[in-house]
Amino acid sequence: MSRLLRRQPAPSAPMDSRVRTDVVATGLKDVPACCEVVGAHLSDVIEQTGEAAESIVEQMIKVDGLAEQTAADVARLAGTLGRTESELGQATSSNDQLVDRLVRYFLYRDEQIRGLVDEMRGLKQHVAQIEEVSRATNILALNAMIEAMRAGDAGEGFAVVADEVRKLADRSAKAAHGIGSSIADLTGRLDTVLSDDSSFEKDTTSAAVESADTAMTRRLTGIADAQRALSQMVSGVLHDTMEALRDVEQSAGALTAETTGAVGHVQFQDITRQLLEHVSDAVGQVKQATEDVIGYAEGSVPAETVRERAISVDDLRARHVMSRQRVTHGDHGGGAAVADDTPIIELF
Amino acid sequence: MTTVMLVDDSATMLMSLKSILTKAGYTVETAGHGKEAMDKLAKGVKPNLIISDVNMPQMDGITFVREARKAPGMRFTPMLMLTTESEQTKRNEAKTAGATGWLVKPVAPDQLLGVIKQVVPGA
Repeated sequence: MSRLLRRQPAPSAPMDSRVRTDVVATGLKDVPACCEVVGAHLSDVIEQTGEAAESIVEQMIKVDGLAEQTAADVARLAGTLGRTESELGQATSSNDQLVDRLVRYFLYRDEQIRGLVDEMRGLKQHVAQIEEVSRATNILALNAMIEAMRAGDAGEGFAVVADEVRKLADRSAKAAHGIGSSIADLTGRLDTVLSDDSSFEKDTTSAAVESADTAMTRRLTGIADAQRALSQMVSGVLHDTMEALRDVEQSAGALTAETTGAVGHVQFQDITRQLLEHVSDAVGQVKQATEDVIGYAEGSVPAETVRERAISVDDLRARHVMSRQRVTHGDHGGGAAVADDTPIIELF
Repeated sequence: MTTVMLVDDSATMLMSLKSILTKAGYTVETAGHGKEAMDKLAKGVKPNLIISDVNMPQMDGITFVREARKAPGMRFTPMLMLTTESEQTKRNEAKTAGATGWLVKPVAPDQLLGVIKQVVPGA
């Protein structure tokens, strides 16, 4: 049952067949003023919802701008972190190569020094020869002295001894020459090792370079490991930070989408405004009709005017332009419900 | 850059639609009623699309579309009506006046942007 159809008749009372127009006028006296007040309230609601909706849109636009700014800041920071991560990787790789080169250099130098030590050991043989020559020279000298004492005038034996001494002297000279050459060679190689380390790059065949494990190489490897661990830690932090930034970026994007949707929903105010304007118009018509009836009761408005301007629920329905208005009208007893199957979006 | 002219007597509608379209990358011109929109067209504004309300003071949307079609360079410009009204008779009037389509408020931002891409080539 509709509200209109449910309306109950006036309480039963002894009916007076003569209508008292003064009572009608009194009963309706304040209705126009009430309509005026209701109309003013509706105008207030329209104005306030309009202002509120504008404020909401302004705030949404600000939120949207902040979200976009946040997304831009995050994108810029992510770019910087990405470049930092790449540069860190390059620096780590470069450091690894440098440490590897240093390790190889020290291994190479160790090998060179070991070679020099071997050469130094070779010098001992020459020293032993010189010692031997020295001992033999002493013996010969002693013999020469004895023979000389014996011979007197006969110096044949001394001549033999003298010849042996000469040979020993010759051997001593050769040994001395060998020592000199070895020292010159060692000096030259030491100079080379100390002044030029470029050759070690080319000498990659030595097994010692690959296998040696010295205190220096262990320290260098330790430094390299520590540096690598630090790089991995920083890289991990960068990665986590970038993950967090991606989350913020997604949230900012979602926030932007939500604000766009919210701004779209503000269209409700325009719809509500128009609905209220129609209600306000209807209230105005009720006011006019009431004033007509009061005027008629008071004798200032002719009956014909009252009939002509009487409000009609069918007229009210005819003024509805929205589907929702027509449906609501039909649901509340304003006549048969009008099916509205027109599309929301129609391209001609 | 695609320029959209919005014509509506509701400041809220103009603000919200302008926000949605600007964010989608469109340049937006606004007018509070049909007469103001005609003045802008006369001053050389050349929108690629017009979205107009129907019920407006001074010049309603259907009259505006009819007049705008006569403006230089506007013969083939898409013109959409965006209104709370859903009556078929009004739609027919708009179609006769030269409107390209009819959208009933409220329309979701995604739907609106979809329609724009449909009616404006390359938008």
